[in-house]
Amino acid sequence: MDREAPDQRPPIPISKRTEWADVTPIPQDDGPNPVVAIAYTDEFRETMDYFRAVYLADERSPRALQLTTEAIHLNAGNYTVWQFRRLILDTLCVDLHEELDFVGLLARDNTKNYQIWHHRRWVAEKLGTNATSNELQFTEEIFSEDAKNYHAWSHRQWVLQALGGWEDELAYCDKLLQEDIFNNSAWNQRYFVVTKSPVLGGLEAMRDSEVAYAVKAILAKPENESPWRYLRGLYKDEVQSLVKDPRVASVCLDVLMNKRDCVHALNMVLDLLINGYQPSKTLENSIDALCLDSGLSNSGLTERVCSVLQVVDPIRANYWKWRKSGVTVEGSNGKELAG
Amino acid sequence: MADEDPIWEDAPDSPSSSSFFDRDRHIRFLEMMYQLLPSPYQSQEINRLTLAYFVVAGLDILYALDRIDKEAVIHWVLSLQAHPKNEVELNNGQFYGFHGSRSSQYHLTDDRVAIPNGSHLASTYCALAILKTVGYNLSLVDFKSLSRSMRNLQQPDGSFMPIHIGAETDLRFVFCAAAICSMLKNWSGMDREKAKDYIISCQSYDGGFGLIPGSESHGGATYCAVASLQLMGFIDKDILSKNASSCTINVPLLLYWSLQRQAQDGGFQGRTNKPADTCYAFWVGGVLRILGADKFIDEGGLRGFLLTCQSEYGGFSKFPGSLPDLYHSYYGFCAFSLLKERDLNALCVELGITAIAAIGL
Repeated sequence: MDREAPDQRPPIPISKRTEWADVTPIPQDDGPNPVVAIAYTDEFRETMDYFRAVYLADERSPRALQLTTEAIHLNAGNYTVWQFRRLILDTLCVDLHEELDFVGLLARDNTKNYQIWHHRRWVAEKLGTNATSNELQFTEEIFSEDAKNYHAWSHRQWVLQALGGWEDELAYCDKLLQEDIFNNSAWNQRYFVVTKSPVLGGLEAMRDSEVAYAVKAILAKPENESPWRYLRGLYKDEVQSLVKDPRVASVCLDVLMNKRDCVHALNMVLDLLINGYQPSKTLENSIDALCLDSGLSNSGLTERVCSVLQVVDPIRANYWKWRKSGVTVEGSNGKELAG
Repeated sequence: MADEDPIWEDAPDSPSSSSFFDRDRHIRFLEMMYQLLPSPYQSQEINRLTLAYFVVAGLDILYALDRIDKEAVIHWVLSLQAHPKNEVELNNGQFYGFHGSRSSQYHLTDDRVAIPNGSHLASTYCALAILKTVGYNLSLVDFKSLSRSMRNLQQPDGSFMPIHIGAETDLRFVFCAAAICSMLKNWSGMDREKAKDYIISCQSYDGGFGLIPGSESHGGATYCAVASLQLMGFIDKDILSKNASSCTINVPLLLYWSLQRQAQDGGFQGRTNKPADTCYAFWVGGVLRILGADKFIDEGGLRGFLLTCQSEYGGFSKFPGSLPDLYHSYYGFCAFSLLKERDLNALCVELGITAIAAIGL
């Protein structure tokens, strides 16, 4: 069943098929004055008319299953059709591996449909841990086409949490990041693994090596926002530890000394400063080297960082100006809006 | 982004490039959609109420509600509501809201089979938003059975299923539930504290929100989170100037993440290192408005990007130069309203309808 790709559907109208001769289709009753009526194709209209007939008769038969296949190809978002299909699958005790093949074909053509992924989860849940490696592999096939597919990532996180398979997940994240260091979905997955994997020991145990990983990625591409946010995220609720980790200030300094793509580095320096970091003379000098306006030299370092950001990040100039005013107002207390 | 095809930038007569917001053309586009949607929309047939919401609320933003027959709209929307037959049925665990379209709505003439009603939270949100937009008094809607049965959809973790037969649960449906309660002025349909806890659990390490806990930060999910918190009364008016610790979510990180979504081409991206897309001008721009931080948006840059997505047929496309669709058109209009374009109605950002509709004038 269901082996055909959607564009190879039999061209014979359902009304001309002998196996459907005993069924009277039920047309859609749109009532008077329908709003946003849709110009249905004949095929769509007829398929849904027959679907209504089998649905209302609660006919859980092989031909009804086939009809849901056709309806889903035309209309993969119709949750009523999907729900009825699940009832039929249960009643007929269909081999669910075949169902996975069907969903797999659909998902490849229709990767952003919520109902397809929900259905796939329903099937995988029934198959249990037998499905683990197959489901992980399936998402990897999707990622080979679109490494940022949101549904596939949700599915993968669900598989890991519900069925397991964590062992190689950090290596898989690394593989994707080596292919594209800008892939923020892979960075997010890395954070998910580091914080949630039962085999790695949690964020505390992983922080040291992850900081090193992020620093390396930053030095390779300082303009890449993802590893900067990742580094900051490793110290999400422990900002004092961020300030105390010498590698954080050091990577900022490295980037600033090269005077290129320094918005994220400057923002990190700002984060450090407002949380009590005592800057080295070298760091201060590297900021001053970026100050085009020598008149700034009298203001505090935090204000100078904001001033540089106003210039190098003009899209957000108003934001940096506002940050600077916050520093000025509350600077004497050494506290601003802590990030 | 760097390797995107730059051809459209070089085409001087690019049909999508225009120097002004072409309101008349947009009204004609929506009028056409109101009359008949072309067949590619049949794959979204189940969400016809949502498509109608884009058209009706879109015309309202454009100050052009006089183009539609409001009574016909009210009649059609109300015809999609699910009603329990009696008190016993109301307690059967089903949700009695609105069906997305006729293909999830079945009337039985005899009692052969019990067909479950297929009403859906997103459709219910869209139904009420349309009704408010055309000035229908929502106290006439059977809100008691709606609110009471909506509780069946809230999960132990605070999230919502959209439909009682089961489906994915995520922040989208928390937003729908909060917007429904807000419009009905009745919060008995949800446990706000639990919903808040779920929202907090969706804030990612970078400050944005994912659709579910652990997911990557996403502009649409972040809107759902922040708009829900606003509707439920958890966001203080002057949240930016307050100390971070007084709020339930990490506001400074959220603010920074949101502002970083404005890309070098002026448009907003939905996720880090993805190309800008029309709709995020509203999803992320709306978050910034709720936070009182829209003054930090580079308005000129955003306007310039959006105009490259304006279609010669009216409406907006997702990316510069592609074909327009209803979804991106609606959020394009919303974005121009946020930018205070002339002759556009102002928005109630957290409800996704105009401010006038939200007040109920």
